[in-house]
Amino acid sequence: MKKKISILAVSALASLALSVLPSAAHADAPTCATANFVTSCQGATSDGALYAMSVPANFNGTLVLYSHGYRYPVDIPAGIPLVGGYKVVKVAEPAPSAAVAKYLLGKGFGIAGSGFAVEGWNADSGIKTDTELIATFKAQFPTTTKVVAWGSSLGGFITQGLAEQHPDLISAAAPMCTVAGSVEGELTMAADVLWGMKTFFDPTIKGHNYSAGAAGYGEAMGDLVKVFTVLGKLQAGVASGAWPDSAGPAGTALSAIPSRSALLLVGLMSGLPAQSMHFDATSGPGPKNSASYTSFALAASPALAVLENIANAAVLGVLATYDVEQQAGGAVIDNSKTDYAARIESEAVSNNAALSGNTAIGGMLSFLNPANPAAPRWTADPAAVIKMRALASHTGKINVPTIALANVADPAVPAGNVQWLADRYAEQYAHAKGVAMATFSKTGTYTAVRKSFLAVWSVPPTTYTKFTNTGAPDTSGPAANGTGHCGYTDKQLMAIVDLATNAAATGKLMSGGPLYTVIRKAGGLSIDPEFRAPLLKFYNEQ
Amino acid sequence: MFALRRTKRGVLASATLAVSALAISAIPAQAFSVHAETGVTATQIKLGITIPLTGSAAPGYSKIPSAMQAYFNYVNDNGGVYGRKISLVVKDDAYLPTLAVAKTNELILKDKVFAVVGALGTANNKAVAKSVNLGRRGIPDLFVNTGYSGFADAKKYPTTFSLFPSYIMEAKIMGQYIKENFAGKKLGLIYQDDDFGTDALVGFKQAGVKFDVSVPYASGSQSAQSAQGWIGKLKAAGAEVVVMFGVTTASGAALATAAAMAYKAQWILGSVGGDATTLKAVGVPAYVLTGAMGASFLPAPTDTTDEYVKFFQGINTKYNGDAVFDNNVLVAMNTAMMAVQALRAGGKNLTHASVMSGLENSGSSFASASLSPINYASGVHVGYSGYWFGTYNSAGELKPNGGAYSVYTTDSGAGAIVKSTFKRPALPANGLPTN
Repeated sequence: MKKKISILAVSALASLALSVLPSAAHADAPTCATANFVTSCQGATSDGALYAMSVPANFNGTLVLYSHGYRYPVDIPAGIPLVGGYKVVKVAEPAPSAAVAKYLLGKGFGIAGSGFAVEGWNADSGIKTDTELIATFKAQFPTTTKVVAWGSSLGGFITQGLAEQHPDLISAAAPMCTVAGSVEGELTMAADVLWGMKTFFDPTIKGHNYSAGAAGYGEAMGDLVKVFTVLGKLQAGVASGAWPDSAGPAGTALSAIPSRSALLLVGLMSGLPAQSMHFDATSGPGPKNSASYTSFALAASPALAVLENIANAAVLGVLATYDVEQQAGGAVIDNSKTDYAARIESEAVSNNAALSGNTAIGGMLSFLNPANPAAPRWTADPAAVIKMRALASHTGKINVPTIALANVADPAVPAGNVQWLADRYAEQYAHAKGVAMATFSKTGTYTAVRKSFLAVWSVPPTTYTKFTNTGAPDTSGPAANGTGHCGYTDKQLMAIVDLATNAAATGKLMSGGPLYTVIRKAGGLSIDPEFRAPLLKFYNEQ
Repeated sequence: MFALRRTKRGVLASATLAVSALAISAIPAQAFSVHAETGVTATQIKLGITIPLTGSAAPGYSKIPSAMQAYFNYVNDNGGVYGRKISLVVKDDAYLPTLAVAKTNELILKDKVFAVVGALGTANNKAVAKSVNLGRRGIPDLFVNTGYSGFADAKKYPTTFSLFPSYIMEAKIMGQYIKENFAGKKLGLIYQDDDFGTDALVGFKQAGVKFDVSVPYASGSQSAQSAQGWIGKLKAAGAEVVVMFGVTTASGAALATAAAMAYKAQWILGSVGGDATTLKAVGVPAYVLTGAMGASFLPAPTDTTDEYVKFFQGINTKYNGDAVFDNNVLVAMNTAMMAVQALRAGGKNLTHASVMSGLENSGSSFASASLSPINYASGVHVGYSGYWFGTYNSAGELKPNGGAYSVYTTDSGAGAIVKSTFKRPALPANGLPTN
């Protein structure tokens, strides 16, 4: 998120959108200016969302509407790692990067996007804002004939929601690194991570059920500090297996098991990937045949990957939990009946060595047993759950040609979200084919069912962990492809928007050789139809 | 509305066209989905394997691919499989499940192999089955190099065919042997603490064997240092008979450390960790191995009276650079011979489905070096089911107890352990299958 904002801050387009407009109960006419053959407008929707839109002189009639991702709804004090000093921003984002905006304008497309009316989890108001923004754009540029909606993370959720609720308004959609289904799956994952961190490593972490108002804000900020502190201790203990001094009963009961195994278990039972931006779980320092190479790849790398993933998703996990709880009026996640043993049944096989074997796995799961008073489970407020479930959600129905993009090792919004959409579409497609066959049986006329959903996976390389001359892991370089949250290359983003705009123009998804060419040129992407990302644990248990 | 789908090579058999022309007005286009199988051309069949060529489990196992390719080359030099030559694409997975998944994906998506054959390791194969979805893709996963009992579930792993007896079978048979020969002795067990070892625990329980001391170790943690802890526990418990159910590098660490710590026991090595040449290669002195017992479903690799062993030794000399002929080489060449028969059973118009149905229908009669019967049948994807016991002599050769191979068979459930009367099919003429 910081990256996106900084990218926009240096772009000429962003400078048009950055000027602050007052909130308004009604939409004012946009203010427009033309420079270098591009007309750029800014304004505010009736709910006060700042928007920006630009159209080139050779406008081809297609608007590409972008919805940005989750923005923290509160300021974050300086001193908190990674995000300290963050201030709530309202700036409009008409594209995921300046380069992509320039690319689209150069091809004759119009672009638009808002900063939304409220920050935090705002899918309901976001869909409303986007709907109004489409109308505003069409009014300003009457030659508009088609709209492509795309978005990242929460913006992907809004995009899919828009396609489900208003298919008449858009011709194609491209949700990227998207949350899918409902916010509950994501919050369940966050709660599992935070509960695991609390239960194993620091019982003073609150993790959920934050108080209302300023007190709750203080609790959430306090949790961020605690999570990062304990992650630092776990990192220091990866090689030795030492438990953090904050661990409480677990540190005593499980001291014979390396803390890295418990950390990995937390990640796996929550559904986090065991690969991260800098840790591939396949390589180690030194020669390939050395003991250090194998032991690092087998035992340390998966745990460090989970550590890095938690570090990168912790802020979102804590603040999204705090945010939705504030909206719903109480605790929304209940793990009192969660079967964590069942959760890791298959992952425990692949990561058996890093988890220190079946005996250690059994010991850790015993500690997490609901009957253990040292591992109290969380319960939700039923009224708050009802309110959370009343928030915007997806049916998964694909109404317009849709291209969904996911990083296979996304720690914040796992690729399983896109898998959920793919699974819903597979059901829809099978049903449609069944209807077509039934019609054929009755009438002798068969109408082929056209595929309308394409999952595109950004895949990590086989090995990518770097090491210093002393054999220590080097995390100073860029994140590997297919890891981290969103963070796609401009070439990948351009490929996705090319596919989406092509679908809008033709009414169908690109296929065959042309599709493979687009994917290959983007680099790091796969459209393997048999690839299946693990579903979020929440969806596996429905 | 009806568009015939072309094959990937843009060719559609004329016979199919003729049939299609008759039916074109009535049947949906999807019904005409005729296509060449990936990895098969008029002249080649491309197979793939993932196996540790580097890392802690590589010693011994790294010899397997070249030995398999040696037999394939022999077959290729003699006409191939219905005129198609077999090539084997080899990927190093370092015995890491995550790497096995990535490398299998490469085999499927980049190398475009027809089938995977002989992929090694329980955890690796399970990870691949889940993440690469060979079953959903319909890609044959032939003769996985593991005895994990779970792969018998043909519904869960529809394209996976095990060759080895399950570890449960092995432990059951071993358990009975222990009860009959070491009654009253204090028993110890070292086992890999994953599904491989869990299978062993199930088998020993089925056999009614209780160990006085059990020492689990996490896969990959085996080392001289960790073995000191294992041996210390066995020694403290006074174990007189010790079963080693781990990979060869773990067996080697245990045996060498036991010798160094002057700990003497009757060792019984599971088939996975009992290859004598690999044990020697990882530093186990011959005298330490002498007197230890082992189990196998193949004849001893040093048994030159066995026609299969003798034949494969010849292949090894001519096509495999005369590598040290050990159990790994024997397993590899036997697996390759099974693969050739599976491909032949798939017929001239080779498809994934035809290979798998061929295995189910006729796999039980394939020529194989194994002294155990082969059990493939409809829905039955587990090959062998029996073991014989032997004792290592001072040369590191596993010699059958009693002077002759006595094979016992069982199942992975509560079935009885019975002495096998199986008569192995003779080696095909010149070692070239004609099924």
